[in-house]
Amino acid sequence: MIPSVSYPRYRSVLPLSRSTRVLSGLTLALLIALGWGATTGALGVSPWALLSGEANALSVQVWWQLRLPRLLLGVVVGAMLAGSGAAMQGLFRNPLADPTLLGLASGAGLFVALWIVLFQGSGAASLYGQFAAGFLGALSVCVIVFGLAKRQGGGSAAVMTLLLAGLAINTLAGAGGGLLAFIASDEQLRQLSLWGMGSLTNSLWSTTALALVLIPLALWMLLRSASELDLLQLGETTAHAAGLDAPRLKRRIVVATSLGVGLCVALTGVIGFLGLLVPHCLRLWLGPGHRLLLPASMLGGALLLVVADTLARTLGAPAEIPVGLLTSLLGGPYFLYLLMRRSRSC
Amino acid sequence: MLTLHQAGLLNTPALAPFDGTIRPGELLSIVGPNGAGKSTLLSMLSGFRPSEQGELHLDGKPLREWPITELASRRALVAQQEPLGFDWQVTELVCLGSNPEQALVAELLDDLDLSHLANRSVLSLSGGERQRVMVARGACQLLSRRSPTARDGGLLLLDEPTSALDIGQQQRLMRQLRTWAVQHRMAVVCVLHDLNLAGTYADRVWLMHQGQRIDHGLPHLVLNPSTIADIYSAELQHIEGGPQGKPLLALAP
Repeated sequence: MIPSVSYPRYRSVLPLSRSTRVLSGLTLALLIALGWGATTGALGVSPWALLSGEANALSVQVWWQLRLPRLLLGVVVGAMLAGSGAAMQGLFRNPLADPTLLGLASGAGLFVALWIVLFQGSGAASLYGQFAAGFLGALSVCVIVFGLAKRQGGGSAAVMTLLLAGLAINTLAGAGGGLLAFIASDEQLRQLSLWGMGSLTNSLWSTTALALVLIPLALWMLLRSASELDLLQLGETTAHAAGLDAPRLKRRIVVATSLGVGLCVALTGVIGFLGLLVPHCLRLWLGPGHRLLLPASMLGGALLLVVADTLARTLGAPAEIPVGLLTSLLGGPYFLYLLMRRSRSC
Repeated sequence: MLTLHQAGLLNTPALAPFDGTIRPGELLSIVGPNGAGKSTLLSMLSGFRPSEQGELHLDGKPLREWPITELASRRALVAQQEPLGFDWQVTELVCLGSNPEQALVAELLDDLDLSHLANRSVLSLSGGERQRVMVARGACQLLSRRSPTARDGGLLLLDEPTSALDIGQQQRLMRQLRTWAVQHRMAVVCVLHDLNLAGTYADRVWLMHQGQRIDHGLPHLVLNPSTIADIYSAELQHIEGGPQGKPLLALAP
């Protein structure tokens, strides 16, 4: 007599599977958030007025040139930060890991600080230089981390090395940033600290377009790794015996995360807690299977960042709160609460 | 069928090269003192550490030439307990590494006395329960990914699968391994610390000591008290008349 066994969470046999329901629900929520974000702000624009051409020229200009790229940037940056957080946590098999662990954010931060303090130009040139510097910083950290991972080959030692390398890079970048702040002028210091808090203010079509092309590419690389990340949870030797090429998986995730997160940091500064918080909460709800967790984290991250950015724009309008500050203020305490609940239940 | 032709490892931990064959339908036990190279041997048999001397052949084809995914349908590994970061459900964990029929999962859970835990979080299980879940996962991988043309049930490698089990569960697991070996013509390789368990259930035994396979053959011949006392540096009492007339080894007080 064989008792009946219910199927795994992520492979429901219902006509509308659990994955479909969760992902379409999150997509709907994201669309609603986008609608809200599109119509509220320092300058309220109704979509009907835009479509029917009744809105005045200034509103149209603001909406197309500032609001829309900003919303889209929020979507891809949120998706990238949360998606790479989920992937990093899977890679390190540790629910507290996140992309900043690898030192990408701080590497990018150091390069941007260098640019602002040493080569500061003016206007657009300065802005593009800043993006390029951030991108370059993340990329060079990627090369260091990638080289270390490659030299170590497989084995759990490699994961440990990655973590320690990330720690060293974070410390180094922090010290470098401190030194730069020491020699910076007041104006530069203000610029540095604003960027460091993270915001979507610098969203123009020219830069957003870059993110709209490259970030989906990185997201796609992560999504392709979902079932391999599941296998990795068995430990490297067992996963190898179950058909996983772990070094290849690691390379793919490190490259995708470096590219995506490097670009995000260069464009928006450090937006805290999304990469840690979103996958963590979703895992409590959906379970640890990456085939659902990864896409859900991406949608959830996009949703959270669009909402947080709309709040950041409107709460103190016409002034603006850096959205990174807002996510950290909201995310930090909630995360502590989760940890406390977790330790109590253990 | 896995054959070793003077296969060995050079670097630390080293493994002296030797010949050997693991046949479908048999339960082979690897025994030896701590640090004798049992787990190292297992990772060489699994292909995780490719042999640095000699060659291993699985079904007549060199092990290193098997594509990693194809190999996963012919051999599975149940390693010593690895910490799990996330709280998988028992059923989800059993399905990792394969895409099994629901009936197979239910059957395997039933075989290993896990049915009542099917929807439990793995992190809430005891060490022994979790160990049986991992054995079920290994068997599930082999049985569900088995190709219809395969002549036998493949190779199941287990590293101390009984280390956290009570004696009742030890008996159930060893009997189940024998059943799988016979029923699916599976080659089961089991690292064991309990010599009496090896003596009772294994068809053949490989005895490891200091990175060498020093003896192999029928359990009651290999596990003779003087050799065992010598390589384990233990004082033993030999009790005649154990199960099926096989002798038992016990520690002297």
